[in-house]
Amino acid sequence: MIFFVLRRSFFAIVLLLIVSAFTFVIFSALPSDPAALTCGKNCRPEVIESNRERLGYDRPLVEQYGAYMKGIFAGRTYGEEGSSIHCSAPSLGYSYDRHECVTTLIASTLPVTASIALGAFVLWMVIGVGLGTLAALKRGRWQDRVATAFSVIGVSLPTFFLGLIFIMVFVIWTGLLPFPRYTGLTENPVEWFMSLLLPWFVLAIISAATYVRMTRNGILEVMNEEFVRLGIAKGLPRRRLIVTYVLRAALVPIVTIAGLDFAFLLGGALVTESIFNLPGLGKLTLAAVINSDLPILVATTMVSAVFIVVANTVVDILYGYLDPRVRVK
Amino acid sequence: MKVRSKVLAIVALVGLVAGACGGSGDGVQSGEESGGLSATLDGVKDGGTLYVLTSAEGASTLDPQRVYTGAELGAWGSTFARTLTSYKPVAGKDGTSLVADMATDLGTASDDLTTWSFTLRDGITWEDGSEVTCADVAYGVSRTFGSEVTAFDGPQYAVSYLDIPAGDYDTDSAYPGPWLATEEEQALFDEAVSCDGKTITFNLKVPVADFNFTVSLLAFAPVPEAQDTADQYGLKPFSNGPFKVETYEEGKELVLVRNENWNAESDEVRAPKVDKIVWQFGLDETVIDERMLADSGDDKNAIVYGGILPVNLQTVFGDESLKDRRTDGFDGFVTYTMLNIKTVSCLEVRQAIWLALDREALRTAAGGPFTGEFAQSFVAPLLTTDYAPAKLLDGTKGDGTPNTKAAIAKMNEAKEKCPEVYAKATEDGLRFDHPDTDTWKKYMAIWIDTLGAAGIKINDNPIEQSKYYATINGDQGDLMSAGWAADWANASTVLPELFGKGGGFNYHNNEEDPAFAEFQTKAEEAKMETDRAAQAKLWKELNQYVIDQVWSIPGSASKAQNIVGSNVRGAYQWLPFGWYNLGDLGLAG
Repeated sequence: MIFFVLRRSFFAIVLLLIVSAFTFVIFSALPSDPAALTCGKNCRPEVIESNRERLGYDRPLVEQYGAYMKGIFAGRTYGEEGSSIHCSAPSLGYSYDRHECVTTLIASTLPVTASIALGAFVLWMVIGVGLGTLAALKRGRWQDRVATAFSVIGVSLPTFFLGLIFIMVFVIWTGLLPFPRYTGLTENPVEWFMSLLLPWFVLAIISAATYVRMTRNGILEVMNEEFVRLGIAKGLPRRRLIVTYVLRAALVPIVTIAGLDFAFLLGGALVTESIFNLPGLGKLTLAAVINSDLPILVATTMVSAVFIVVANTVVDILYGYLDPRVRVK
Repeated sequence: MKVRSKVLAIVALVGLVAGACGGSGDGVQSGEESGGLSATLDGVKDGGTLYVLTSAEGASTLDPQRVYTGAELGAWGSTFARTLTSYKPVAGKDGTSLVADMATDLGTASDDLTTWSFTLRDGITWEDGSEVTCADVAYGVSRTFGSEVTAFDGPQYAVSYLDIPAGDYDTDSAYPGPWLATEEEQALFDEAVSCDGKTITFNLKVPVADFNFTVSLLAFAPVPEAQDTADQYGLKPFSNGPFKVETYEEGKELVLVRNENWNAESDEVRAPKVDKIVWQFGLDETVIDERMLADSGDDKNAIVYGGILPVNLQTVFGDESLKDRRTDGFDGFVTYTMLNIKTVSCLEVRQAIWLALDREALRTAAGGPFTGEFAQSFVAPLLTTDYAPAKLLDGTKGDGTPNTKAAIAKMNEAKEKCPEVYAKATEDGLRFDHPDTDTWKKYMAIWIDTLGAAGIKINDNPIEQSKYYATINGDQGDLMSAGWAADWANASTVLPELFGKGGGFNYHNNEEDPAFAEFQTKAEEAKMETDRAAQAKLWKELNQYVIDQVWSIPGSASKAQNIVGSNVRGAYQWLPFGWYNLGDLGLAG
């Protein structure tokens, strides 16, 4: 098992290096000129060239990538002495648009996204798995039909539409909730909770829809397995059979997908954050796209990739625990 | 040139969609509306929190030397960045009158207008209670030269006016700004800007009659050297006004609170009323409009930065109950199409282009009449002293539709008078440079189609948006798109800048045009004229002259619509900035 974990971790690191190089190359190849973006409307072509040289964008891509990677471990100084800016390690670049080290920006937005992701994840797992289990156990009855209808509607609803509907209904028309305005958990837990309530439910409804289907199908499939029929034949209590054997077996693939979905969400709930004005990683990325802020784009893409790769690795390791056949392979 | 904020650009973009859906075509029409009750101080009380709702992710910058957006110049100037001079804080034409702010008067000029002195009032303090000194003003001005930090973001008048030798730095100056200057280089600046007690003297390399207007720009605002954090100064600028920055987080909010060390006795311009101003960034535009229409809770104390979505204009301007909360007026911008006089040297061809152009189709593509009125001047209507609608080219239709017949007649004249340019326009085609945006794709289809009807061929040349102005700075097409707003309430920042020798934004290559010499002589005369009424008369004549030469084709005098919460008072349009006087807004109820 230790060898399995080490092997997976090693491949994760290699994958991250490949992703970082790939991301760097892709964004460098974009038509937006980072040197031009550091110069206002009064700029001249020669000034852009001068900026390019000063910021190192004129150097070979490999050299730029090397400096970038070095910055992650050793920090980096931008600009000339007298007006220079130092970004401590791990430096993911400097945004000349926002006048901040990118790591600082990510550090301030990540807790927001993590708050959204964590709450939404818990909700969608409870709703999705709960409704899916109910639908499977009440197959063909009204509970099943309601759960299936919820699933179809949830999958069909675009996030921005549901978000706007929630704001209209709960904030503007009825005034039941204040307009979401993010407050840190340590700052004011009640306001933190209130500011995230609507986004959690929006994400939960949309994501839970898929989990209802997966859970329902998984349970129905497992219930046809021979070991379940054996349990029934041997007179195992229904509750114990469902919870201990059926649900456990049915949840293995769901846990795998859930881990990846959670990691994906940690990379930024772009639409939800925008609709509810939550200053998270997704909103930071969106603003960077609009402003062609390449240092932020590269960094947020890499951070998202780290989440996905780490989650993938963790899920793989967990899968190994849950299913011995994986370890044997 | 003041620039439009990103949020306004986004609104304009959205306007295209709505315009295509007839959002502002029939039904309610655009017209001047000044805000009714909300523009008055009726029932206003001291205190409370004013909210500014915007879809922008943040301010363009809070750094005084880098800000160049009209509304922000007014907003920051009225709250935390005082300058030597400012504008009278009133609605209407009077709002363009210059008044002394940190200075005791409007400045003293030498007879040849190359030296200007201002004396600081007593008792002006920073937010830590320390005195604002002449050295602080000089240091603030010096920051514009440090292009590696201020990045040409703000106005460059300090660079072009101050008597500092030319050099090899990016600004073409021998002074690199305060961060990189050697002692010798700093001495060059100190000779141009010197302090004697509370009196600061600016030595200029060219005579400037309205330099006291120039120093009203935040680029001339003081910055204490000890508080300067270079590129990061815009995250927390030091205040000498009635408000100070408490927190600023892009994508979240900017909180301005009252500056307890602001000395009201030293300030005759500002009359703050609220305790706190909270900018909420990154809001969805649809949600902003719905919140403003619902007008409940804190939204009664809110204003919007960025205007109303075109799709909601019918609702807002069709509902009489909103009359006391809405405004509709010019925002100070004029769009126009520059012609390269070196390559399109034939007046008849230029006239034909003008006559063939379908301005109405272009306006419809932009969102309809709410987006603006057909410009009759390169000077915006907000510059009330200098503005007069020019007599447009004979044959121009008032409804903005093309006069193809007259255009063809002009092309026939051109065929005789200037066959080379005629051939270029009809056979090779004229290169049209413009930013590569979705909006411009629609505009170009109209240009190509309507000019094609008059036999003029247009070659589309989209340029990546972030490089557009830098590109045409080095290589001009035959036609180029642009927009302009005055830097201060004087056409001296419009006509000479756009059409004069060494004008900061003159890409017309018009110096070889036989008509140029007369323009330049008159422009110099106007710039030196110290009698404001006489100067305004000269600007109006010059505008007519430029229109007659067709060096550029005026497009649209832009308009903006806005709505405020029902408790907001004092929400008049402050003409020099095309937005509210933010620091003076109050709340009723």
